[in-house]
Amino acid sequence: MSGKMCSSSVIQAQKLVDQLRVEASMERFKISLTAADLVQYCQEHRRSDPLLTGIAASSNPFKDKKTCVLL
Amino acid sequence: MCDQTFVAATFGPCDNCTTASPLMNIYIKNEAINYCSFCVEVMACQGLQKGESLANLKRECESLKKKLEEERGKLNDVELHQVAEKVEVVGALSIKTRRVLKGHGNKVLCMDWCKDKRRLVSSSQDGKVIVWDGFTLNKEHGMTMPTTWVMACAYAPSGCAVACGGLDNKCSVIPLSLDSNENLAAKKKTVAMHTNYISGCTFTNSDMQLLSSSGDGTCALWDVESGQLLQSFHGHTADVLSLDLAPSETGNTFVSGGCDKKANVWDMRSGQNIQSFECHESDINCVKYYPSGDAFASASDDATCRFFDLRADREVAVFQKDSIIFGASTVDFSLSGRLLFAGYNDYTMNVWDVLKGNRVSILFGHENRISRVRVSPDGTALCSASWDNTLRIWA
Repeated sequence: MSGKMCSSSVIQAQKLVDQLRVEASMERFKISLTAADLVQYCQEHRRSDPLLTGIAASSNPFKDKKTCVLL
Repeated sequence: MCDQTFVAATFGPCDNCTTASPLMNIYIKNEAINYCSFCVEVMACQGLQKGESLANLKRECESLKKKLEEERGKLNDVELHQVAEKVEVVGALSIKTRRVLKGHGNKVLCMDWCKDKRRLVSSSQDGKVIVWDGFTLNKEHGMTMPTTWVMACAYAPSGCAVACGGLDNKCSVIPLSLDSNENLAAKKKTVAMHTNYISGCTFTNSDMQLLSSSGDGTCALWDVESGQLLQSFHGHTADVLSLDLAPSETGNTFVSGGCDKKANVWDMRSGQNIQSFECHESDINCVKYYPSGDAFASASDDATCRFFDLRADREVAVFQKDSIIFGASTVDFSLSGRLLFAGYNDYTMNVWDVLKGNRVSILFGHENRISRVRVSPDGTALCSASWDNTLRIWA
């Protein structure tokens, strides 16, 4: 047994190989497909995103409402 | 035979030979094994005798890594911003500070929104955890934890409790009562116990389970009622700094990022690490899922934020600029996922267009580094916590 070989490094290497095997067996999709889905999600939810499109001060509880003017 | 020196955290009877000795706590296929160092050597040699040598394993490792690179490379047929060319540009944003929450005596390290879209909880370096009403700036509850640097806090989905943890290595759940005279800190219940600081915590879809990430390199899923460990997640080789739960109702995955520059995606039921991304050049400070659950973003000390697509299993965008040299500490998406709000150590927040990859806006206001940024559950506002002792709500 070579003195340089540590038992824990064998176990670590074994774990690493097992992990990589799991990852390598994963099914992947092309970016053209997945990116299109991401873009579509953004577009679909664009209108319901208050920070993106901005909503009126009256419906946003954090924005200050215009002060009332007494006539 | 050389017996290597190791730090023994436990002493007791070995699982294999039953002699009492310092034990090496190792995990084989997610099972905890406590062997004395001699039995570990014997086990490793047996593994070797079956024909696998360390050199063989290392070679297989390298070839698998190369294969992964190749597979991922094959999918890179187009860039995200190219697919998004036809999408209209984001208009000028009118986001300004609307509220400044003052009350913490020291750096605010973490904050979380309540599902009722108005309350939020924040925790700070001096050990105080405060529950605020974001509309009125009223401090509804204030609790003092028996530790400094409360680095993680989370609101329960029901709004009836908060969880917090930090240097005490524990994550505690505190039920919030309406009676202001009650000493809430006394009702605190310790749920998570790690061997190093708690860097992040979040409730899962109910008040019953809590997910925690720790400086000890692991994440863990706990049952709140009994405090029992339901699942532990091993794989990071350094401190885990952040975690985020996948958004879907049925989703049972979460992503974690740490000082080993890796972002890992985990299956909560099996404890298995299903995907791993190593693209950053420094510690990953924060990870956050895209609203659809098919992607996530990360913020790192290398001054970039990156966007990873889970189905393509690769990084699809890098948000960086030569003028940005300070690390990014936190990220969050707007409701539609179009905008990415990132807080940096140069006291500013940059707003990035996720699809096109360019910066849309810079938000100034804080007087020290930003530790946490979170968009409210209905997307109307954004809250930022900072080392300048304040929180700001932007809308």
